[in-house]
Amino acid sequence: MLNRRQFTLASALSMGAIAVSGTGVVRAATPQVARFRLPIEPEGLYNVQSISAVVSGVLGNYLLEGLVYLDAAGKAQPWLAQSWQASEDGKIITFKLKSGKTFHDGTPFNAESVKFLFDTILDPKSASPTKGIVGPLSKVETPDEMTVVFTFSKPFAPFINLLGQSYFGFNSPTAVKAAGNAYPRHPVGTGPFMFDKWVPGASIELVRNPNFKQFRPDAANQGLAYLDRVILNVMTEDGVVTSALLTEELDAALLTADGVAPFQSDDRYTIINDQNAKNLMFMEFNYKKAPFGEKAFREAISYAIDREAVLAAAFGGNGKIALGPLSRGIPGYDDAVAQKYGTPYDQKKAKQLFDAAGWVLKDGVRTKDGQPAKFTIRSYASSSTERALAVIQANLADIGIVVEVGTADWGTFYPGLLKPDWDMDLNRWTWSDPSVMSQLFRSPGHRQLLPANDAIDNALDGADTALDTSKRLAFVSEAQKALLEDRRILPLLTDWPMTVTRKALQGYRVDYLGYVYGADLKIASA
Amino acid sequence: MTQYVAKRLLLLIPVVIGILLITFLMKALIPTDAVTAMYSGQLSEKDAAEAIATLRAKYHLDLPWYQQFFIYVRDLLQGDFGDSIRLRKPVMEELGYRYVNTIILTLASLGIALVVGLTAGILAAVKRNSWLDVTATTVGLFGISMPAFFFGLLLILVFAVWLRWLPVVPKGNLALLLPALALGLIEAAPISQVARTSMIDVLSRDYIQAARARGASELELVVRHALPNALIVVLTLVGLQIGNLLGGAFIIESIFSWHGIGELAVNAIQWRDFALTQAIILISAATYLVVNLVADILYAWLDPRVELST
Repeated sequence: MLNRRQFTLASALSMGAIAVSGTGVVRAATPQVARFRLPIEPEGLYNVQSISAVVSGVLGNYLLEGLVYLDAAGKAQPWLAQSWQASEDGKIITFKLKSGKTFHDGTPFNAESVKFLFDTILDPKSASPTKGIVGPLSKVETPDEMTVVFTFSKPFAPFINLLGQSYFGFNSPTAVKAAGNAYPRHPVGTGPFMFDKWVPGASIELVRNPNFKQFRPDAANQGLAYLDRVILNVMTEDGVVTSALLTEELDAALLTADGVAPFQSDDRYTIINDQNAKNLMFMEFNYKKAPFGEKAFREAISYAIDREAVLAAAFGGNGKIALGPLSRGIPGYDDAVAQKYGTPYDQKKAKQLFDAAGWVLKDGVRTKDGQPAKFTIRSYASSSTERALAVIQANLADIGIVVEVGTADWGTFYPGLLKPDWDMDLNRWTWSDPSVMSQLFRSPGHRQLLPANDAIDNALDGADTALDTSKRLAFVSEAQKALLEDRRILPLLTDWPMTVTRKALQGYRVDYLGYVYGADLKIASA
Repeated sequence: MTQYVAKRLLLLIPVVIGILLITFLMKALIPTDAVTAMYSGQLSEKDAAEAIATLRAKYHLDLPWYQQFFIYVRDLLQGDFGDSIRLRKPVMEELGYRYVNTIILTLASLGIALVVGLTAGILAAVKRNSWLDVTATTVGLFGISMPAFFFGLLLILVFAVWLRWLPVVPKGNLALLLPALALGLIEAAPISQVARTSMIDVLSRDYIQAARARGASELELVVRHALPNALIVVLTLVGLQIGNLLGGAFIIESIFSWHGIGELAVNAIQWRDFALTQAIILISAATYLVVNLVADILYAWLDPRVELST
C-alpha cells in the first residue's frame, strides 16, 4: 500500500519517466541523484567575489570551466583554450579558444566571455579578491572572436597554471549583466551541471546540463553527465555528517581523521586520500624578536621537532612529513634539496646546537645572558593544530625550551601576526603553484617582518618571472635551498584530505588540483 | 494596563541603546573587521590592499568606532540594519526567514517542554513518593544536567542511525521534530521540577481540603482547583526559559542543520560581519524583552493579587 505522499511521489516519477521516454531517450525511471555535504553555506557562487574553498569547490566540480586544466603531472593542458603562446619578453600571452562551447543560458563562449571575466576582476569597483592573484595583468584584448591577448606589466610565470583554478572559470556575461547583484545566487557557466535552485541556509541543487560538451580528455565520461541531479546539503557538524553517511543520506563527504575512523573497516564505504595535496603545515619565527633573528637559534629548534609524532597526533598519520619549504604536491618540489638541506628530527643535534649557541641548561630550562628560554607559539584554533602544538610543546620541553601555546580563530590569529609581539607560529597554507613561496617568504614576507636576503629574494623573483619551464624550475629549486639554508621556516608536514564515499557512488576521483570530475559521477543501482 | 505596557515598551529604548553601545565597544576591541577577515588567508591579501581599502571605506570601517555607532543608529532609525559585508546583501534579507525558523523551533520546543514537563510534574506531585515520582525526578535531573549538543547527537544516533525513523538531513515537516525534541526535553526538566514543588504546595492548602470535604473528585481537585494556581509559578519560569531556548537554539541549530539565526550568528561572528552580528543580537534581545513583558502581563491576569506598576 502506498500512502498519499508515496503515491504522489510515485506518480510524479512515472510522469517524469514518460516525459523522458517521449523524447526518445531510454533511461531508468529512477533519477540519478547524488548528495554531498557543504561544510558551510557559500556566500555566493561567483568567483569574482569569493574564492573561499567551498565556493571554488562547487564552481570547479560542477558549474564552471577554465582555459586550462592541470594534468596528472601538474602541467597545464588546453581545456577551453586551443593553444597559447607567450611573447619573447614574456609580457604578452595570446590564447586561441576552442569553438562550440555554449553557456547554460545558450549564449556562446568566446573571447568576449574571457575578457569580461578579467575586466570585471581588474575593475576596482568589483573589489575582487582574485585581483591580487592575477598580479601584474594590465589589460585583456580580443583581436577576433576566438583570440584573447593578455598583457602584463612584467612577466608573470604562475599565470598559466593559475588559470586551472576555478577562480578563473567562466560565467556567462549575459547572465552576469542581467542578474546584477542577484547573480551570485544564480550562477551560469559551461560545466556539466547547471544551477537549479538554492534553498537559503539548507541546500543548493544542480541539474544535468543537456547540451554539455566534454573538452577534457582526461575525464572518463566524454558525454553528458550521468547524474540527473546533484544536491549539496549545508551541514556544519562533523558528527552529523558521519550519521548522514551511515544512513545513506549523503554519498560522499570530506572528513577529518576522527570522522573517517568509523568507516575504515566498513566495506560499504571507500576512503579516498588526496595524495596530491598541496598544503604545508609549518612553523614560522618572528625575526624581529630576539633570539629568533639568529639563524643558530632557529636551526637548533628546527632539529627538535618530531614530525612523525606531529603527523600522527594531528592527522592520524594521514599525510607525509615535510623537510622542504614547498608542499610536495606542488610542481617544482625538489626532494633532493629537501633531503640535503632539511633538518630531520635529531634531538641530540638540537641540544648540541643550543649548547654551542650559549643556551645553558639549568633545572630543565635553558638560559642565556640571564634570559630564560620561555617563548610563545600561536596558531589558529582547530583540532589538528591544537594536537600538533601539544607535540611541539613536548618536544621543545624535552630540550629545555618552555613554550606557552595560544590559539584563536583564524580571523584573530592571522591579522594578529602583523603586530610583532609573538615568538613563533604554527601555520598551514594550500596553494597550487610555487609562487606561494614568494607570497609568504620573500622579504618582507606575508607578515612584514622578514629581512632582505639576496639568495632567497633573487631566486623567488626569478621563479615568478621565468616563463620558460625548465628555467623556472631551476629557480624554484634554488629558492627551496636558500629558504632551508636560512632556516626561514620549519616545514612540518603535508596532510592528505580524506573523503569518505559510499561504494554505490562511482567515478568519484579528484584531479591534480583537487576538483571532482563532475560528469563522471554515477550512482550504481542496487 | 495600557499605561504599563507603554512604559515597559518605552523602557526597551534605553535597553536597546545599551546593547548597541556594548556591542560597539566590543567591536572596537576586536582586532579584525569583516573585510580584513574576508581577505586574510588569501594569498592575494598583499596585492588586494586597494580592494580592501575600497570595501572598508564603503562600510565606514575606516572611521573611529563612535562615528560608526552614530551612522549605525542613524540608519537603524530609518529601518536600515545595514548590509552584510560577507554576503554582500542587506542584513534583513538573510535574517527574515532565519528568524521565522528560529521562532518556529522555539515555539515547538516550548510546546514539548510544557506538555512533557507539566505532565511529569503534576503526576509526580499527585503520586508523591511513588515510583512515578522518583522516576520523573531522576529523569528530570538528567535533563537538567545534559548539555544540549550531546543530547542532540544522542537523538540523531538513536532515531536516525539506529532506528531509522527520522532523517539526519532535514526533510519536510519531520525536520522540526528532532531539534524540537532535543531542546524541548531538556527544558521540560526544570518545568517538571517547578510544577511538582508548586503543585505539592498548592495541594496542601486549606481550600483544597475544603473542596475535598465538599466531595470533589481527585481529578477535579487537581485540574480545576489546584492547577491554575500552580501554573502561576511555572509561567514565570517559562518566561525566563524562552531566553534559554533562544540560546540553546544556537547550538541545536548547528547540529541539526536547522537554518535559524543561531547558526547564522556562529558564522557572522567568525566572519566578523558586524552588521549581521549586531542585527542578530538586537533581534534576540528584543524578542527576549517582549516575551518577558508578555509573561508579566499574563502573570497579572492569572493572579489578581499581582498589580502591574513600574
